[in-house]
Amino acid sequence: MTVLTSQNTPQRAISIRSPTIRIVIACTAFAVLLAAPIVLPAYFVEIGFKLLIYIVLAEAWNLLAGYGGLVSLGTSSFFGLGAYVTVGLINHAGAGPLQALAASALAGIAVAIVMSRGLFRLRGLYFTVGTLALAEALRLFVINVPWFGGATGLFVTVDLPEIAALFRYATLLLALAALVMALATGSRFSVLLRAVRDDEDAAGQVGVRAFRIKLAAFIVASALIASAGGLQAIKLGAIEPYGSFGLQWSVDPLAIVIIGGLGMRFGAIVGAVLFVAIGELLADYPELHVAITGVTLILLIRFAPRGICGLAEAALRRRGAAPREARP
Amino acid sequence: MTAAAYSAPLLDAAGLGKRYGGVVANDGIDIRLDKGRVLGVIGPNGAGKSTLIGLLGGAIAPSAGRIHFEGDDITALPASERARRGIGRTYQIPRPFLDMTVAENLAVGQFSLSPFISAATATAERRDILDRCGLADAADVKARDLPLLRRKRLEVARALALKPKLLLLDEVGAGLIDSEVSELIALIRSLMDGERSIIIIEHVIRIVKECCEGLVVINFGKVLTKGPTAEVLASDEVSAVYLGTSHGGTAKASPIAVPSTTDDPAPSPSATTAPVLALEGVSAGYGQARVIHDLSLSVMPGQVVGILGTNGAGKTTLAHVISRSLPVTAGSIRFAGNDITNEPAHSVAARGIAHCMEGRRIFASLSVEENLEVAARHVRAAERKLRLERVYALFPILAERRNSGGTSMSGGQQQALAIGRALMAKPRLVIFDEISLGLAPVMMDRLYEALAELKREGLTMLVVEQDVERALDLADTAHIINKGRITLSGPTSVVRADERLRHLYFGTEE
Repeated sequence: MTVLTSQNTPQRAISIRSPTIRIVIACTAFAVLLAAPIVLPAYFVEIGFKLLIYIVLAEAWNLLAGYGGLVSLGTSSFFGLGAYVTVGLINHAGAGPLQALAASALAGIAVAIVMSRGLFRLRGLYFTVGTLALAEALRLFVINVPWFGGATGLFVTVDLPEIAALFRYATLLLALAALVMALATGSRFSVLLRAVRDDEDAAGQVGVRAFRIKLAAFIVASALIASAGGLQAIKLGAIEPYGSFGLQWSVDPLAIVIIGGLGMRFGAIVGAVLFVAIGELLADYPELHVAITGVTLILLIRFAPRGICGLAEAALRRRGAAPREARP
Repeated sequence: MTAAAYSAPLLDAAGLGKRYGGVVANDGIDIRLDKGRVLGVIGPNGAGKSTLIGLLGGAIAPSAGRIHFEGDDITALPASERARRGIGRTYQIPRPFLDMTVAENLAVGQFSLSPFISAATATAERRDILDRCGLADAADVKARDLPLLRRKRLEVARALALKPKLLLLDEVGAGLIDSEVSELIALIRSLMDGERSIIIIEHVIRIVKECCEGLVVINFGKVLTKGPTAEVLASDEVSAVYLGTSHGGTAKASPIAVPSTTDDPAPSPSATTAPVLALEGVSAGYGQARVIHDLSLSVMPGQVVGILGTNGAGKTTLAHVISRSLPVTAGSIRFAGNDITNEPAHSVAARGIAHCMEGRRIFASLSVEENLEVAARHVRAAERKLRLERVYALFPILAERRNSGGTSMSGGQQQALAIGRALMAKPRLVIFDEISLGLAPVMMDRLYEALAELKREGLTMLVVEQDVERALDLADTAHIINKGRITLSGPTSVVRADERLRHLYFGTEE
C-alpha cells in the first residue's frame, strides 16, 4: 500500500507487489474482459455491464471518501449530468458514443470546478449535505427547464449499440478508472490526499494546498462518474430525471465501498462484486435485497469498519507478521 | 518591496493582535527576528503564546497588525503558502496524520514542496531527520500507534521535513525527563546553523536558557518584557508572573486560605491497617508488548503515593490498569476490600476511583461547569452544588470561566478543570497522571498547592509525576518504576536520599 520505499523490506524475486507483475495481471484481466462478451451468455453480459458501472462509481467514490475524506452524496448529480449530456449530444449533435462519453466527462469536470468553490468551504458532514443538495438542485433544474423533456425525460433517437459493445465500452472506462486510481492512490499525490483527509489544517501547515488537492480528486471522480452515467443512459436508451438523478446512484457506491473496504485499494471491486451478486440472487425479492444489504452494512460498520478488504488485510498481516515478531 | 530586503529582518511582526469576541488573546505584539537567531517566548499559561504561533504560522488570522517575512507582507497568506515560504510550526498538542506512517507524515511536506524530488534524496532526508529526532525505529509505524511524547517528536520531525527558514516550536519539551531535555537541546543546537531562525515557546526553562539568545515574555496577550535571556530570567517582574517559587529562589508564598470544610484532621497513614488499594503481582501491556511486570503496591487511606520514573517506564500504564481502562494479564487488584481485577472502568469509577488522565481529556463541546457536572451527574442537585462550590473555592479561575467552553481555556486552566472534574465524583482515591505536563512553573505551583490542600483534607492520592521534586514534596511514600518494575520504594525521605533517585534525573538508570 505504501508509496514510500522502505529499506527494511527485503526484495523478493517474484512478488505480487512488483509493479511489472501487477501491470501484467491487470492487462490480462482487461484482455479477458474485452473478450468476454464473445463467450458469455447475454444474461451474464448484462450483469457484467452493471457490475462494471458499479465498480467505476465505487472507485470514484472511494477516491473521494476513502482517500480524500470527502464523503459525497452527490454521485447521482454527476451521473445524471453525464446521462443528459450524452443523450443530448447523440440526439442533436450526431455524436458517436465515445465522443459523447468524453464530452460528459468534460461536463463533469466543468461542474466540479464550478461547484468546488462553494462545496469545499464545507467540511465533514456539511460537505456531505452540500453534495446531496447539488444532486437535488440539478434534478429540479432538469425537470423544470423545458429543454430536457421535463419529468418524462428523453429518448435516444438513433440506433443503440449492442450490449456486447457497451460491455466493451464499460471495460475501457474501468481500465481508465483503474489507471487513474493506480496513479492517484499509489503516487506522491496520494500522500498529500491522505494528509488532507487526516487533518486539513495540519496539512496546510506543512505546505499542502488543500483546495487544489481536493479539487484534483473531485475532478477525477466527477469525470469518471459522468462517463458512467452517460454509458448507462446509452444502455437504457431513455432517461428521466428521477432515474438518472436518483438517490440510489449516490447511496449504492457508498454501500459498495463500505462493504468492500473504505480507503482500501480493492475495496470497490470486492464490494461491487458482492453487491451485484446479492442483488442478482435476490432479484425476485427486492425487499429482502434491501434488508440484507442494510444488515450487512450494520454488521460491517460495527465489526469490520475497514470492510472485507480490511478483514483480509488483517488476516494476512497476522499470518505474515507471526514469524517476524518472533525476532526480538 | 523596496531596497529594504537586504537589511530587513527575516521576520518582522508589528502590532499583532487577535481577539476572540470579547477576549483579547494577543494585543499589539511586536516581534523581530534576524536570520539565524533563536528567540524564546515564555509566559504563564493562557498568556497567548500558542495564539502567537498560530498568527505567525497562518493558522489564525490576525485582527490587527502586519507580518513581514523576508521583506514580503505575508499577513494575508494562508498557512500553506507560509509553509512553502519556509515557516514550519509544531502543534503543542500533536496533530500527526494519524492513519499514515511516520515516514509518510514527513513525506507530506517533502512532496508538497518539491513534488519531483528524487526518491533516494527524499528517503535519505527522511532518515536523517528521523535519526535526529529519535524516531528512526518508528519510520513504518502508524502515527496513531505512537504515544504522546513520540508524537511530539514527530511534530518536530514533520516541521523539519519542510527545511524551514523559520521554525516555530510550541512546547516540544513538555513532559521530558532531564536526559531527554538534553537530547532536545542538542537537537535544537544542531539546527542553529546560522541560516535557520527558531522561535521556541517553552516552559522548560533549561531549554530556554541553553538555546535562546533573546527572550520575550508575554502576559495577558501583551509583551511584558524582552531582552537577552539571562537578563530577562533574572528580572523580578518575570519571576513574579511566571517563574514562581521553584526557580525564582524566593520563599514559598503565604499559606493559602483553607476552606473550613476540614472538620477532622487528616488520618495518619499508619493508623489504619487495611489498604484502600492493593495491587498484587500485576502484569499488563498493549498487545504483545508487556509494559508492567509482576508489580505490587498498596495505598493506605489518606496516604499520598508518588509514582516516579522515566518516560516509558510504565507509569501511565499503571494508572490505566488501576482505573481499569487497561486489562491485566496477571495478578489482582483490590480496592476497599473488593476484588476489582475484572471490573469494567465505569463500575470502578462508581466505587470511588477517579482518574485524572494524562492529556486532560476535557469535553470540548461542554462548558466548564458542564464538564464538572458530568462527573457528578448521579448525585442530588444540592450535593452537586456543594461539590461544585468546593471545586470553585479550590480553583477560583474555573468559577470565573464557568460558562466558557471546556477547551477554550489555557493549558493550566484545563488542567485545573481536569482535577476539579476528578474531585466532583467525591472519589475515595484519585489518580493524578502527569498533571504538570506542559504547565508554566507558576501554574504548577498553584496546582500543587491545591493538591497539598486536598492532602490536608485527607484525600487519598496516587500521583504519577515527571517532576520528581514536586512529587516528593507532596507524597508520603514513593515508588520508582523502571521498565515496568518497582525498583525502589519507601517513605519520601528515604527515597530522596537514595542514590538511585539521582539516576532518574540524569536518565542514567541501568
